Amino acid sequence: MKKNLLQKSLKQLTIFAFIVFALSVPSYFLLVDWIWLKELDENNQLIAARIENEFNEQKINNEKLAESIAFWNEIQPVSKIESAANPLAKDSLYTIRRENSYSKSEAIDRFRGLKTNILINNKNYVLVVETNVEETEETVAYIAMVTLVFFMILVIGFWILNRKLSRKLWQPFQDTLEKLKSFQLNNQKRISFPETDIIEFNELNTTLDKLLQHNIAAYQSQKEFTENASHELQTPLAVLKNKIDLLLQSDDLTERQYHIAEEMNKAIIRSTRINKNLLLLAKIENNQFDSSTLIRLDTLIDQILDGLPTFFKDKNITITTHIQPAVEVTANSGLTEVLINNLVANAIRHTLPGGSIKIALSASGLEVSNSGEQPLNPDLLFKRFSRISADNNGSGLGLSIVQEICRFHNWEVSYNFKNATHIFFVRILTF
Amino acid sequence: MKVLIIEDEKELAKSIVEYLSEEKYLCEEAATFTEAMNKIDVFNYDCILLDITLPDGNGLKILEELKKDNKQDGVIIISAKNSLDDKIKGLQIGADDYLTKPFHLSELTARIYSLIRRRQFNNANIIRLDELEIDLLAKSVTVNNESVPLTKKEFDLLIYFIGNKKRVLSKSTLAEHLSGDFADMLDNHDFVYAHVKNLKKKLSDAGCEQYIKTVYGTGYIWNG
Repeated sequence: MKKNLLQKSLKQLTIFAFIVFALSVPSYFLLVDWIWLKELDENNQLIAARIENEFNEQKINNEKLAESIAFWNEIQPVSKIESAANPLAKDSLYTIRRENSYSKSEAIDRFRGLKTNILINNKNYVLVVETNVEETEETVAYIAMVTLVFFMILVIGFWILNRKLSRKLWQPFQDTLEKLKSFQLNNQKRISFPETDIIEFNELNTTLDKLLQHNIAAYQSQKEFTENASHELQTPLAVLKNKIDLLLQSDDLTERQYHIAEEMNKAIIRSTRINKNLLLLAKIENNQFDSSTLIRLDTLIDQILDGLPTFFKDKNITITTHIQPAVEVTANSGLTEVLINNLVANAIRHTLPGGSIKIALSASGLEVSNSGEQPLNPDLLFKRFSRISADNNGSGLGLSIVQEICRFHNWEVSYNFKNATHIFFVRILTF
Repeated sequence: MKVLIIEDEKELAKSIVEYLSEEKYLCEEAATFTEAMNKIDVFNYDCILLDITLPDGNGLKILEELKKDNKQDGVIIISAKNSLDDKIKGLQIGADDYLTKPFHLSELTARIYSLIRRRQFNNANIIRLDELEIDLLAKSVTVNNESVPLTKKEFDLLIYFIGNKKRVLSKSTLAEHLSGDFADMLDNHDFVYAHVKNLKKKLSDAGCEQYIKTVYGTGYIWNG
């Protein structure tokens, strides 16, 4: 799945934040627990001191004291005072988990205990004080809950900021992208990128601008070269053609020489055609045509078909037409004629004797189809000089010209092979 | 018949002159705009072959001048510019025909022939060759006063032959003439043979002498 750049970083950030928050939970717990225990130890010490102090201040005799201690032990189940012959070597601190003896529920509680020596009436006693401590699980659960809430806040914050940022921060980039999308090498229009105060984007725009200008210049000079070369070739080709014409008229020409001259004639006719078509292509590419004539397509097709019959007879091809009347387009009439001519002639040329051709015109476009056996490679079909069929006599530019004329008029030409039929369709988009 | 060839390419002009001279045309050449203007001011021509791109001016200007002075010279534009717009513009200003370089000299000759015929015989433009009679306006042919039904292409072919009498016309040259806009796409020239055969048969069936002869196996010539 494709994501935009900030969404990608959002995922990384979220994972990192999650890890940090996850690690913080045990850290917080350990810290809180340590503070708890420390505080409770201090508290237990104070309680021990207070008990010792209070018993001493009673100033009662030993008998009464033993009675009081027994009673005190009775009402303070978590604490205990025991007389001891020898004082403990050292106070001891401990944590214990057990059932609360006075609680009705079976819950197990955690206690922090202190075992220390006290002196009452100058007699040694061992005092045990226990205080209830918050359970580990509960602490962890509370901390985790708070942490999760903050984590959620953080992620939502990221997400909102991200959306805002991606709109604001990346706006110049989006603008540049839009401009680039609209750029077409062959329509000569230079594009200017919007100014931005972000260094990286500015740099990108400058670089792109340079690149595009270089491309436009290269394309331009290539087109100019094609046009100039074809144009300059016209005259020598004309001279050559006419000299062959003269040669063919020589009185003392032998049959062998005539055939050589005729072969030259054929070659020169073909070069002339290729050259003419290249020139036409270059001119269409250079937009040297006006496209504002209103044309009746149905009449134009009728005219073109009128000039055809002999060729059909020669190949015994059946032609059917479905011409919708009064179809009008605004286009260049000469080019439109070339377009239809090329499509029709192409169909005739590649239909085997006895085959059929269908020409259909509707308001949406023109369809020229002919019977065939194998689908053709649509990638090569419209390419210059890419010969798909075995015969080598065409100029190899007919369909390229069709495509170029369509591009010029903002029409679309497509190829399809269905039911043993090659279908060429020109979608006429502007009416 | 006087023909003025306004063409800056020397070799091209030379070939045209050489080919046309054999047709009893009187050819004059002009290689520049100024030279052409000087000749047009002084003389009248039956046909002017006009190249548009001249070293010192635009050929269309010459055409405009001719029309302004109400001159009756027929004009065929011969241009290396195959621009459709140029063609339309030239014909609008008043050129009679437009031929794109490179062209066959036989094509040019046929066009000059038709142009001069058109200009000389405005109303009844009929070519008579012994028993053969061709009405250029009605596009009909009669042999010994009997009409011969020809197809459009056959008629076209006949005029081409008449315009190039005693010239060897090769198969590929005829193919290029006949196929016109479709020349690019047609690779088989056998249809030329079929057309010529039909034309010959129709004419001889009507009692016309066989003027069209085959030469060198694949070429044709009108001998009459």
